[in-house]
Amino acid sequence: MFRKVLVANRGEIAVRLLRALRELRIASVAVYSDADRAALHVRMADEAVHIGPAPSSESYLRGDRILEAAIATGAQAIHPGYGFLSENAGFAEACEDAGVVFVGPSARSIAAMGLKTEARQMAMEAGVPVVPGSEEPVRDLGRALTIAGEIGYPLMLKAAAGGGGKGMRRVYREADLAAALRDAASEAQRSFNNGDVYIEKLVENPRHIEVQVLGDKWGHMIHLGERECSLQRRHQKLVEECPSPFVAMRPDLRHAMGEAAVRVARAGGYYNAGTVEFLVDGDGRFYFLEMNARLQVEHPVTELVTGLDLVHWQLRIAAGERLSVDQYAVRWNGSAIECRICAEDPDNNFLPSPGLIRQIERPSGPGVRLDSGVYPGWTVPVEYDPLLAKVVAWAETRPLALDRMRRALAEYSVQGIKTNLSFFRQVMEDKDFRDGAIHTGYIDQWLRTRPPAAEDDGCQVIAALVAAIHSRRAPVPVAEAPAGASPWRTQGRERVLR
Amino acid sequence: MKRQVTINGRSVEVEFEGKEQIRFAHRAPGQPEVAGEASILEVEPGIYSVLWSGRSFEARVLLNAGKGVVDIGPHHYRVEVADPRELAAASTAGAGAGRQEITAPMPGRVIRILVEEGQPVQAGQGIVVVEAMKMQNEMQSPKQGTVVSIRAREGASVAASEVLAVVE
Repeated sequence: MFRKVLVANRGEIAVRLLRALRELRIASVAVYSDADRAALHVRMADEAVHIGPAPSSESYLRGDRILEAAIATGAQAIHPGYGFLSENAGFAEACEDAGVVFVGPSARSIAAMGLKTEARQMAMEAGVPVVPGSEEPVRDLGRALTIAGEIGYPLMLKAAAGGGGKGMRRVYREADLAAALRDAASEAQRSFNNGDVYIEKLVENPRHIEVQVLGDKWGHMIHLGERECSLQRRHQKLVEECPSPFVAMRPDLRHAMGEAAVRVARAGGYYNAGTVEFLVDGDGRFYFLEMNARLQVEHPVTELVTGLDLVHWQLRIAAGERLSVDQYAVRWNGSAIECRICAEDPDNNFLPSPGLIRQIERPSGPGVRLDSGVYPGWTVPVEYDPLLAKVVAWAETRPLALDRMRRALAEYSVQGIKTNLSFFRQVMEDKDFRDGAIHTGYIDQWLRTRPPAAEDDGCQVIAALVAAIHSRRAPVPVAEAPAGASPWRTQGRERVLR
Repeated sequence: MKRQVTINGRSVEVEFEGKEQIRFAHRAPGQPEVAGEASILEVEPGIYSVLWSGRSFEARVLLNAGKGVVDIGPHHYRVEVADPRELAAASTAGAGAGRQEITAPMPGRVIRILVEEGQPVQAGQGIVVVEAMKMQNEMQSPKQGTVVSIRAREGASVAASEVLAVVE
C-alpha cells in the first residue's frame, strides 16, 4: 500500500478522500488555490501545496503543477476525485510517465470512455443496447437534417466530450434543429474546448439509472448494483438512491444491467471504480449512455447499502492489490438516499449564492452520514461549483430511509448564505417521489407546477413574528474573516474527535 | 413595535413588545387577529427557539436589508419586513415605480443577451445569461415593460451588483 497520496481536488470530495487516507494510515497531501488557503481540505491534510490563483484553469486544472507537487512531496499516487482532472487522459498519462500512480483507470481507458461516440461504439460491440443516433459527431446542418430524418423526432443533441448537462439540447421539430445545433456546439466548445455534437433519439420521460463497477488490475471485475439518479434539475443530479425503486421491483433487471455494465467496462480494458450510466424507459428497456471513468459524487449511497468503502478499494486496487470480493458475495442491505446541498437560492431560480457561512447545524444521529466540505466562518468562493455537502440517510426500507432523510434535513441548517435545503424538504414530502414514480424531467416539471406546501397557521404566525424581531436587530458586522484566523476555533477540535 | 411583513406574497401586520417573553399580535386581512405571549430566544445567530401555546418551534432566519427567508421545519417562508411609517413615506414619495435595474447578483461572465433595446418584455422573461460558479443563470425581468437600455456585453466579465440592463 501507498505511504503518501496527493488529493488533486477541493471541497467535499477532497475531505472524503482525506478521511479514507487517514483511515488507511496513509499520509496525505492537499493542493490549494489562492481562494482555498483556509478551505477545510487544507486544514485536514497532513501537507498542503499551493498550486496557483483561484480560477481552476490556473490551479486545479494545472496537471503540471499538481504532478510537480506530488513529486516534490514524495507522494506515490494522486487521487483526482471527480471533475477537474479526473477524466483527463493526458494527465493520467503524465502521471504514469512520471512514475506516480493515478488512482483510477488507465489513460487508455479514460481516453476511450471520454469520447462518447467511441464509448458507444464499444458498448455496441459488447452487445449492450444504445439509444439510436448518429455514430459520429455531426459537423454541418445538412448532415444533421439527414440523420434527424432517419432517427425521427424528438431528438437530443449532446456534446461529444460532455457531461453535467452542458452542450445538450432537446429538439422536437425540424424547424428548431439549426438553432439547437448552434447553441449546443458553442456551449460544448466553451465548456469542453471541443465543439463536437452528436444526435440521439430522445427517450421520453426516461429514468437515469447507473451501475457501479469495480475491477482490479488482474482482470477481476464486479458490479455493486445500481443507483437511481432520475431526480435532476436541468440535467444536474439532485437526489440519488440505492437501490433504485424501479429496479427493486424487477429483480432480473439489476442482474441484466449489472452484467451489461461489466461487459462495457471489460471492453474498455477498465480497472478501478467506474460507473456505467443507462437510460431506462417505462418498460424496463435500458440503453447505454456513457461510462464515467472516476468516482461519482453519489458513491456514498452504494457504500451504505453494500457496506464496501469505494475509496478504500480504489486505493488498494491502484496499489496493485487484488479485489477480494466476488460477485456472489455482494449483498444489498436496506436503502440509502443522498441529497446534494448547494449554495443556491431555490426561491430565485437556483441562482448561486456564494459568501460567508455564519453558522451550521449538522444533522447526525442513527443512519445519517454527512460528507461536507465547509465550516462556519468559511467563505464559499465564486470560482467553483456550488456543492457544499451531501446528506446521506440509510434505513432498512426505502420509506424509512426517506423519513430519516426528512428528519436529517430538518436538523440541518446553514446560516449566512442561501442553500437548497428547503427545496429538498419539500421534495421529501412529494407523493410521486415517495412512490418512486419519477423520471429525469420530473423536477423541472414539478418546479413549474408544484402544489403549494401544506399550510401550518401556527408556523406562519411565528415566522412573521420572528422575521419582525430579527429585522429590528442591527445586522452583526462581520468583517471578511482573514484566512486562517477564523473565530470558530471549536471546529478544529470537533474535527479531531470525529 | 409595529412591522409590516410580507410572507409568501401575503401582507400581514405584526405588533410586539418585550425581550424574551414577547407579547404579540398578528393581523392578516380577512382573518381573526392572533394575539398571545411567546418565549423567544435567539439560541444561535439567526436561530430562534420559540415556545408558544404549548408548541416548540425552531425558526431559522436569513435577512438582508429586511428581505430574506424563514425556515421552520419543512415550512419555508419568503419574507420582507418593513416599518409601516417608512412604507407610508415611500408611497407618498412615489418611489418604487417605473425604472427597474437588472443587476449581476455576483461576479461572473455575460454569456448571452436575450433581448434587444426597445423590446417589450414580460415579468419573468429572461434578459441576460450570466455564468457564475460553473452555472449559467438567466437574469429575469422583474416586471412587464420595455427594455430601455442594455449595459452588458456578451463575453464581458461583470462585478457583483453591476447593472446589466434597465427595464421601464
